[in-house]
Amino acid sequence: MATSLKQSNTLVIDDFPSMRSMMMGFLKSMGVKSIDNAGTAKDALALLASKKYDIVICDYNLGHGQNGQQILEEAKHKNYIGYSTIWVMVTAEKTMDMFMGAAENKPDDYLLKPISEGLLETRLNKLIEKKMSLEPIESAVAAKDYMFAIALCDEQLKKHTTNTQDIQRIKSDLLLMTGNFSAAQVFFESILAVRNMPWAKTGLGKVHFLTRNYPQAKEIFQEILAENKMYLEAADWLSKTLDAMGDLEQAKSVLLSAMTLSPNAVARQKSLADAAYKNGELDLAQASYEKAIKLGEHSVHKNSSTYSGLAKVLSAKDDPQEALKVLDRSKVEFKGDPGAELQTAVIEGMVYQKLGQPDKAEAALAVAEELMRCQPGSVSLSTTMDMADALLALGQKDKACGLLAGVVKNNHENAGIISMVEAVFDKAGLSEEGGELIKASSEEVVNINKQGVLLANQGKLEEGVKLMKQALLTLPDSDLMLTNLCGMMLGLMSKKGKDERMMSEVRQYLDRVSKINPANKKYNTYMNILNKLAHSSPAGR
Amino acid sequence: MEQEDINFSDFIASSIHDMKNSLNIQIGFLEELMGECKDKVDESMRSQLGHTIYEASRMNVNLIQILSLYKLGKSIYPIDIAEQSLKEILEELALQNQSIMAYKEITLSVTCDDECYWYFDRDLITGVLVNAVNNAYNYTTDKIHIRAQIRDDMLEIRVEDNGTGYSDEMLLESITADRGISFATGSTGLGLYFSSQVARMHKNAGKLGALSIENGGAYGGGCFVLTLP
Repeated sequence: MATSLKQSNTLVIDDFPSMRSMMMGFLKSMGVKSIDNAGTAKDALALLASKKYDIVICDYNLGHGQNGQQILEEAKHKNYIGYSTIWVMVTAEKTMDMFMGAAENKPDDYLLKPISEGLLETRLNKLIEKKMSLEPIESAVAAKDYMFAIALCDEQLKKHTTNTQDIQRIKSDLLLMTGNFSAAQVFFESILAVRNMPWAKTGLGKVHFLTRNYPQAKEIFQEILAENKMYLEAADWLSKTLDAMGDLEQAKSVLLSAMTLSPNAVARQKSLADAAYKNGELDLAQASYEKAIKLGEHSVHKNSSTYSGLAKVLSAKDDPQEALKVLDRSKVEFKGDPGAELQTAVIEGMVYQKLGQPDKAEAALAVAEELMRCQPGSVSLSTTMDMADALLALGQKDKACGLLAGVVKNNHENAGIISMVEAVFDKAGLSEEGGELIKASSEEVVNINKQGVLLANQGKLEEGVKLMKQALLTLPDSDLMLTNLCGMMLGLMSKKGKDERMMSEVRQYLDRVSKINPANKKYNTYMNILNKLAHSSPAGR
Repeated sequence: MEQEDINFSDFIASSIHDMKNSLNIQIGFLEELMGECKDKVDESMRSQLGHTIYEASRMNVNLIQILSLYKLGKSIYPIDIAEQSLKEILEELALQNQSIMAYKEITLSVTCDDECYWYFDRDLITGVLVNAVNNAYNYTTDKIHIRAQIRDDMLEIRVEDNGTGYSDEMLLESITADRGISFATGSTGLGLYFSSQVARMHKNAGKLGALSIENGGAYGGGCFVLTLP
């Protein structure tokens, strides 16, 4: 991390040579010694890959190809830059599209042209100072010691400074991430009592969404949009909420109107396409997937699921030939990406079935099965469901039921996912059989857990741990199973003293829990116990 | 995009965007030139260069205001209300205007509590203040003072000068400043229209931001007062 401006490694990115030389002149007269420059995104990324920069001053609009925001996202994505890098975006004017990205991909500051040397120097010095004061919090976050990070935030929040709002946001993100929803709610409400800030109100809405209090969440997001229709993050969340409530039509139209305000957001375009497809509006789905592909061309948001989505729509629109072409493009674009290859193979199976070529469909699905075996635990839910769908269409009922039983066991408490499984069975005309399978699979999970809890209550923790670990082999994504296992392991350590290896195991399991179900209530409790244990003597951390 | 979608104001907006880029490069180099030849040329030349920079900046301010109004009108301006340190913003404003002030030997001073924080869109409010300072620059004798304070749960920012103040006619007209463009002060009224639009966009707890002008203040000259809820 740069502790002084003069010692910083700096990079200036601008497509105009005159602007570039002006910026470099400014830096030079500030006493900065290391100044590199790039005129294109490609050159900039090559430099970012080869050297660690402390400060990057980047023009937003770089003509053709990637813009400044896309360079920043790619540099972050590829780990060329870390938290400590100061990224300043220079722009002639503020536009909506600049503010639509994810919070973690925002630059540290925007500077509106014209920029004078004095202004640049003041801002850079302020940013260095800010990075330094936030550094302890960020390192605690990087070390996943979230409770300590929150404690540091509280410490800094005792005094009102220019960083107050940043720290409030970091703290609220941490509370949400660790599943401490009641504390998050109190925190957001305390901020809102001082001032109605859309970010805090959105945070409050997220709390209700994550605790599945959808009507309340819906009301809050609608209020934010009524007060400020440009706050599109609220539109994204409103759409998610409506989707969870089963109101697909509304979910889609919320995204559609957000889209007219900010037409260039790739992620939202993709969400709109997904929502339209779910709602059976194939023309809109097709147009949106096509736009998302085009917009994502230069971005790290480029995603194979957009291609497979488009292929599915084309197939549903009785144009399987065109669908195959899209899948061929996906194969070229995402060569060597096993997740993408799997997705392509699954959809290929569906499309060939539609074309009346069961041989080719079978071959594609055989490839998909092999790919699935090679990446256990990382296959997305939607790919699994597509696969089951395709297998059922081909008459391979046993394999499909195997996959769907797995989905149910891993998610037996998630009504939304269970109803998706039901829909797949309904479509194949197997409603009754499907219902039985769902019931049996859920019961199996419940029974294993009952046994585990029984063992734990009898004090047979070691046996309990063994049983749960065994069950986890076939149910890697059940958060219930994972948290119960963690509970037993923590119980074991509180009896027999702590064990470094077991602690890191628990940490890994808990990480998985927060990924699978960020709303898991036990996560926060167990994380607290684990961190207390880690800080306790004698071993320390 | 289809041909019919391009209307005249879109054309103006994109042309302004282009002009602004050229102007920014120009201003940058002029500032650089000023720095380089400060000790090499005589007073009148320095003064001419200073005036050139002032006029170029004024043009840039106008272009930014037109562009912002265009976006606000189309609801595509990314308004970002956040808590700001007044001290930081006013000091930056003073710094930005340093070279222009120096050339007319005007002293620009700032009074603001370290603990003064308020909620607003930083770029828009800075735009309003730049406009007020530019205006004061034209009418002052040799002093401009900016003061920010929180009064009755509102933020009040005053830009005061030691000139002769506003005429009665102007003070009267300011009441009807809502008419915006018809505000006849010899200027186009763009700055005032922009400022009043920006002020009114700042809302909180049922209250709106507002502008007013008066005579008096610390120096007995003209005062521009912005209040934000």
